[in-house]
Amino acid sequence: MIAAAWICLVAPLGAAVAITVAGQRLSRRGAGYLATASVGISFVAALVSFSVLLGDPPHDRSHPSTLWRWLTAGPYHFDLRILVDPLSVFMMLVVAGVGCLIVAYSIGYMDGDDEERRYFAYMALFVFSMLLLVQGGNLLMLLAGWGLVGLSSYLLIGFWHDRPSAIAAAKKAFVMNAIGDATMALALFLLIQRTGSLDFEVVFPRGASFGGWAANLIALGLLGGAVAKSAQLPLQTWLPDAMEGPTPVSALIHAATMVTAGVYLIVRTHALFEAAPRVQELAAGLGAATLLLAGLIALVQTDIKRVIAYSTMSQIGYMFLGAGLGAYANGMFHLMTHAFFKALLFMAAGIVIHALADEQDLRRMGGLRRFLPRTYWAFLVGALALAGVPPFAGFFSKDSILAAALAHGWYGQILWVAGMVGAFLTGLYTFRMLFMAFWGEPSAFVREHFHALRRDVVGVSLAVPVAVLTVLAALGGWLQFAGIWTPVSDWLDPVAPALVEASGLQEAISSLLAVLLGVAGIGAAWWIYGARRAKAPKAQPLLERKFYFDELYDVLFYRPAVLCARGLLALVEQPLVFGSVSGIAEAVRGLGSGTRGLQTGLVRTYALAIAASLAVATVVFVAVR
Amino acid sequence: MKGPDVVWYLAVAAFLFSTGALGVLIRRSPLIVLLSLEIMLNGANLALIAFARQHGRGDGQIFALAVMAVAASEVVVGLGLIVAMARRRLDLDVDKLRTLRG
Amino acid sequence: MGNVLVWAVWVVAAFACLGSGVAVVSFSNPFYSALSLIGNLSSLAVLYLLLSAEFVAAAQVLVYAGAVMVMFLFVIAYLGGRADAPWAGGPSWQALGAVAASAALLVEVIVVIGLKTSGRLSHTARIDSFFGRPYEIGRLFLTDHLLAFELTSIVLLIAAVGGVILGSHSRDPSVEQ
Repeated sequence: MIAAAWICLVAPLGAAVAITVAGQRLSRRGAGYLATASVGISFVAALVSFSVLLGDPPHDRSHPSTLWRWLTAGPYHFDLRILVDPLSVFMMLVVAGVGCLIVAYSIGYMDGDDEERRYFAYMALFVFSMLLLVQGGNLLMLLAGWGLVGLSSYLLIGFWHDRPSAIAAAKKAFVMNAIGDATMALALFLLIQRTGSLDFEVVFPRGASFGGWAANLIALGLLGGAVAKSAQLPLQTWLPDAMEGPTPVSALIHAATMVTAGVYLIVRTHALFEAAPRVQELAAGLGAATLLLAGLIALVQTDIKRVIAYSTMSQIGYMFLGAGLGAYANGMFHLMTHAFFKALLFMAAGIVIHALADEQDLRRMGGLRRFLPRTYWAFLVGALALAGVPPFAGFFSKDSILAAALAHGWYGQILWVAGMVGAFLTGLYTFRMLFMAFWGEPSAFVREHFHALRRDVVGVSLAVPVAVLTVLAALGGWLQFAGIWTPVSDWLDPVAPALVEASGLQEAISSLLAVLLGVAGIGAAWWIYGARRAKAPKAQPLLERKFYFDELYDVLFYRPAVLCARGLLALVEQPLVFGSVSGIAEAVRGLGSGTRGLQTGLVRTYALAIAASLAVATVVFVAVR
Repeated sequence: MKGPDVVWYLAVAAFLFSTGALGVLIRRSPLIVLLSLEIMLNGANLALIAFARQHGRGDGQIFALAVMAVAASEVVVGLGLIVAMARRRLDLDVDKLRTLRG
Repeated sequence: MGNVLVWAVWVVAAFACLGSGVAVVSFSNPFYSALSLIGNLSSLAVLYLLLSAEFVAAAQVLVYAGAVMVMFLFVIAYLGGRADAPWAGGPSWQALGAVAASAALLVEVIVVIGLKTSGRLSHTARIDSFFGRPYEIGRLFLTDHLLAFELTSIVLLIAAVGGVILGSHSRDPSVEQ
């Protein structure tokens, strides 16, 4: 099992290195196969770990494994260490499984691109980083994985590096993630100071023993990192821009795995959050606020990928809501189902984009139902799952979170209301997207530019993962039926025991209302966009400008930073640094040309100099003696 | 025989030396410069001989003979240079020979 | 009577020396300058005789006036018209500086002689009969000042070699100007 876990971790890294070293000797398609195979091996290894772990008794399922002592600094030491326990195996399965499907899909999607090898190397690197993050046995390894996924995200968002918009988006994502990294690092410093170690089994039991402000600061620092990585308020502005990357990148990184790392972090370090209950409630509140904000903005987006991106932001808000209220297993369950249907939606959208020669504007689409029937069905399943319509996956996971919110007390109930509104919005924006793209008469654009998928490897690689995910999105929710059948909660219970348990009545009320609101949203979308019975209301500038967050950050942070930099350049850099160097050169040159005047070349001048110095020297000698 | 004191000879030597120095510094022909140089050397020689007489020892005369030999060698080399310059059609003018100008 | 004679000879020789020295520096024709130098050397020889340095006087006439100056005259004759150069020129500050420097040197030498040797110079030593004779010169060269003797001969050798090299025709006839 330990060996399987290490293989799971290292296989994608090996593929990344191999693709990089092989360079031109490996064909582009070959790089794709290699990357897919390595992630496939990871998945198999994760399955092995899972099945072996199943054999252990439930209370004895935590197996750390140290490779060597990595850092020693005085009394502190940190090991290269992974931990195989229910939570990490859960994440391993999700990451490796969905990752494998998406990398296989990429073979078809990225076919023909000049730099396919680089793409697959980066994808493999990303899978390795994410696995490191979830498998890390101490907070340092988690942080290492954290940073590496940020790096991979930057590399992949800016993959088409001749596009200035892509480069700008990559930088934005990286900088905002770096803010989170900084707060996390500060939290880790505090932890080291208080406990002298970063190992999970040392730090978590001591969670309750920190003072009030220390515990709050640590939790806040970790929350900052989680918020940045998961694109929640207030660090959410990078996620829509990250859609500049290729669609499989959006599917893997910005839907299924990286952005969910924040949720994983909160669940993993729940002991530290429970020691700072106000911060935990803050996390839930931020999640609720984000889910509303994102839902509203998604209503006016015209780019199909951006709708799905805001939808991701919104759904992660649900996960934060769950984790913040102590419903850890519910949050993780929603993470899993979300990975299924969100990746499905992205990949189906990718097929649409490819079929329309890279067009992403919803206003230009229409009537694709006739041209891409199977894609339409896949998209429909994903949309229904997202909207939380039974029996699809989202219904089970989302509603369990909402039920837990209801059980939390007055604060939870406020958030529950927000979640309900969110459910309505989810149905509305999701089906708006579906109706605009697939229903109605085929638009002129579609008639001109549509070209069908090829039947060869490309077509297969695009179709099969979508089909698999369709099945998972349809059936995956049946893994946990709240109150009656809870294998997920039972599995995760030793690691992260839930703080709240919803009663059967609360579950029923929540589910019913959520479904009703979701269907109402679908109906409203159909009324406006499907049957065209009513005109869409004029989009508010507030929504269109994404609540002016970008402008706010520009004024608050970017402009002052640029001013500061310019000021330093003019006042310090130019005169002191450049000036000193060139000043020295000028001085030396001046000295040289001055001295040059002495060399007249005239013998008589030199002789005069000798005679004059002789005269002076004589006087000096005589006077001194 | 009594004659002028050694001081008078030294005065003549001083005059000769400064006259030679003036010639070296002012004249533009290298030949004349060499000749002025000879004047200076002779002034020094006279001073040496005078002091030899004053002390009653022959060391000054030895030195003067050595100076004479060295002066002869120097004239050989100097004239060789001048002849070489003339052969290359260079202007025999120290002010024109300034290729080593910085 | 003898004293007056010595003084008279001294005056004539000294003024001839000084005059010819000034003449060397002043003539624009190098031939006249060389001839003046011969006169200078001869009057110097007389002065040496007055100082009881007979051998040096003879050597002066033979070597200096007889050999070195002849060499000078040969070269001047070889150069012919090209030997004439402008008397002086260049920046005026140079001429001024030259006069100032030489005047300063003259004044300094006299002042130093006056300051440092006051009193002692009036007392000339007694000399024996060997003073200034070849015997004495030879003895000193080969005993007390042997090193100077040998070094001088080496210098002469170097000068001879240098003269030959400088005078030889260069291999590359294109090396002109």
